[in-house]
Amino acid sequence: MVATTRTVSLQGAIGHVVDVQVDLSQGLIATALVGRPDTSISEARDRCRAAVNNSGFEWPVTRRVTVLLSPTDLPKRGPHFDLPIAVAVLAASIKDFPQEGLPAAAMIGELTLDGRVRCVPGVLPMTMAAAARGLDTVYVPEPQTEEAAMVPGVRVFGIRSLAQVIALLRGEEVPEAQEVEPLTGSPLLSWRGEERLEDLDMADVMGMADARYALEVAAAGGHHLLLTGPKGSGKTTLAERLPGLLPDLNDDESLELTAVHSLSGSLPAGAARLTRPPFRAPHHSASRTGILGGGTGRVRPGEVSKAHLGVLFLDEFPLFPTDVVEALREPLEAGEISISRGEEDAVYPARTMFVFACNPCPCGEYHPYNRDHHCTCPEVKRRAYRRKISGPIADRIDITRFVEPLRPYERTLPFDRPEPSVVIRRRVSEARLRQHKRYAAMPWRLNAHAPGPLLREQWPLTGPAALRLDAEVYAGRLTRRGAVRVHRVAWSVADLSDIDRPGVDELDVALRLRSATPLLLSSLSGLRAVPSDESEPA
Amino acid sequence: MTGVNATGVKESERLARVVLSRIGEPGDPRLTDLVHQLGGEMVLASLRHQAADRELGADLAERLESADPVLELERASAQGIRFVVPGDAEWPAGLDDLAHAPHLHERGGVPVGLWCRGKPRLDQVTEQAVSVVGSRSATTYGADVAADIAGTLARASWTVVSGAAFGIDQAAHRGALANRGPTLAVLACGADRAYPAAHRSLIDYIADFGLVVSEAPPGCAPTRIRFLARNRVIAGLTRGAVVVEAAVRSGALNTANWAGGLGRTVMAVPGPVTSAPSAGAHQLIRARDALLVTSGEEVLEAVGPIGSFTLEDPREPEHPRDRLPRRERQVLDAVPLVQAVDSSSIARTAGIAHGRTKDALLVLHRAGLVEHSLGRWRVVTDQESP
Repeated sequence: MVATTRTVSLQGAIGHVVDVQVDLSQGLIATALVGRPDTSISEARDRCRAAVNNSGFEWPVTRRVTVLLSPTDLPKRGPHFDLPIAVAVLAASIKDFPQEGLPAAAMIGELTLDGRVRCVPGVLPMTMAAAARGLDTVYVPEPQTEEAAMVPGVRVFGIRSLAQVIALLRGEEVPEAQEVEPLTGSPLLSWRGEERLEDLDMADVMGMADARYALEVAAAGGHHLLLTGPKGSGKTTLAERLPGLLPDLNDDESLELTAVHSLSGSLPAGAARLTRPPFRAPHHSASRTGILGGGTGRVRPGEVSKAHLGVLFLDEFPLFPTDVVEALREPLEAGEISISRGEEDAVYPARTMFVFACNPCPCGEYHPYNRDHHCTCPEVKRRAYRRKISGPIADRIDITRFVEPLRPYERTLPFDRPEPSVVIRRRVSEARLRQHKRYAAMPWRLNAHAPGPLLREQWPLTGPAALRLDAEVYAGRLTRRGAVRVHRVAWSVADLSDIDRPGVDELDVALRLRSATPLLLSSLSGLRAVPSDESEPA
Repeated sequence: MTGVNATGVKESERLARVVLSRIGEPGDPRLTDLVHQLGGEMVLASLRHQAADRELGADLAERLESADPVLELERASAQGIRFVVPGDAEWPAGLDDLAHAPHLHERGGVPVGLWCRGKPRLDQVTEQAVSVVGSRSATTYGADVAADIAGTLARASWTVVSGAAFGIDQAAHRGALANRGPTLAVLACGADRAYPAAHRSLIDYIADFGLVVSEAPPGCAPTRIRFLARNRVIAGLTRGAVVVEAAVRSGALNTANWAGGLGRTVMAVPGPVTSAPSAGAHQLIRARDALLVTSGEEVLEAVGPIGSFTLEDPREPEHPRDRLPRRERQVLDAVPLVQAVDSSSIARTAGIAHGRTKDALLVLHRAGLVEHSLGRWRVVTDQESP
């Protein structure tokens, strides 16, 4: 007898539908598991046997059981193969088992020895993969029903035990079972409560016109940002408020992000879809695996991916280990991170806006343009510190700003209160809408992700703006990569000010943003739209 | 002169000047010079008879028809605006200097009167006043410097005068207000209006805590030529003008020219030499038309009474080594940083006799600059490097 069930195997964020075939035949009595299973699947043999026997069924003890996971060349991992294996064995051994429902259903779940189902990470991406392959039913552990149900067009059965699945498949009355415990998530590195972010508003940020605008441009186009400034000058204050400037995620984005969090096992039970852009702020002592992803056993997405479509804030950036910093190049440039480990290649999305923050020197007091700085660091140490920022990473940062400590003249006055986040978010949303329209037929959504060659070809700079950018490159002030990045930022500046095509003014703003030179006040949108509650007399 | 004396102004003269302010263009020298010499009443009377200046009379006849000075003053006062004329106790003496200043762009002369909105007395608030002006297309650098300078002036109880425009003007007013200092805005439009419109709340705030002044009567729109006339009032009301970020064709340079023509101290703040918005300020410095200033203290030193604000030249902090005599310094240079050596080796390196080297080392040791153990010497390293 042969029976086939189906499930999904994940490789990073890519899901493959896997057939689990069980054959019962004469031969040496044993259970063979073939098709490149990993250790956790090999152990399934013992778990499944006990689960089957303890659920009131019988494991076929008089025949040879061969379990094939196909396609065979695909390495498979994860404890969620328990359920499809056990179901396939029973489907093959029980007489007149209805097999019709099996090919269109994906089974996901780990089994305990007494036949109960346990939660597994990655239910959402598995369901997405199943749906993409035309499977219309999934069986998932009960606490993860909501997660799977986020995928439209899929029938989701939340189950508590093996017996319940079998009953469902045979159309019998579903037996009672003990409740399943939710997957224990481990928020390893988020060092501040997520809820706190919701209360942070740009209206509390006094002065810093320059940095505020930089934040707005970064938010509009998804550009990477570097904030340097003495300690206590407000770098963290600004960075934490950046997610508040981003619009809600759309359906696709929200599903993507929730899938990543599902993979990392950090999605709380019964959680709704994540609709707000995430903010992650790993400490510099966090491990390479924690930040980039990987890990022993199961490959988990790191902070870079958990901040997908949101903001990754690296405070005290020069204190991060060099290998972590160097490895950030890929997500900075490509918006994804690939983790290769032995047989396994996992690719996770990492369309993250990076916000780097650093002091200008080890003591944190140095300021190149301020004669009153109290820095006591020797120049050698300053230079060593700066070297950690510069180089290949610096070239990938689109916007650099000095953040100055609050001065007495920046005190908030009743006639110009700082703009609240809502107002800025509205402008950012409009700018993003313009980008969505422009890139409607393209696989990317934001200026920061537009590939350079296509950008030059389809959305080029023209006239004096193009000449100016070329001049910057020939003069050696800008690398070729830098020029592409400036080009993208110029588009974001144009989108923010509702201009059809970036001209020389927008390019100028982009160049200033990149080179950390002061901005023209006339380009700061926060100042252009000073809210006035009185109407202008005619 | 008729109608004008030291303590007060005749009502008829004031009303005549209201009419003249209404019918004439601000800073039209054909009018201002006549009024300064003859008084408002007489000029108005001759205008009515087309005698004063035929061309001027014809220009103004249109507007003269409808002038109603009493109603004008009533309306203004309802908006909290008063009309200050020469001879009033409030009239700042500095404005009379405009009578002798060369005309610029066919503008010049003492204003017929000034429309003021705000509580402080015009003469008192401009007793110690400096204008901080600059480009509307300023950078955040310029805005920060302007606000910083204005703040320092404000803390020293100096009034910051500017034009309430975008950019440097706004930053200057803001800097003064944030330090709760006096500030005065001179507008090119009527004192009841706001130009630019986005600065309505800024201008109202200045009117509440400082003074808003205009040569043009209430309701007047800002025109290009009125800005040029306005700049001369800014210069006349102040002891000095600070230009922060003015491009080559900026109106701030016009203010600086007026200040120069009036014998006021012209100052300019430099920016990055590559920065276009600073080009005008650099040009002023290069042509020696302006004094280079970098802080509010330096502005106060330049405009304040002699000796009231003196600054020391900036210096590097002193290091203990700086006070050493030549020989000790020479020995100190020869003492190694890491690997301690004996005194004879130091003497060889320093090129100084062994005995004297030992003496010098003892001096250095007492000063805490070198340490020794087992007869070997090296520099004390835990101190801060320069």
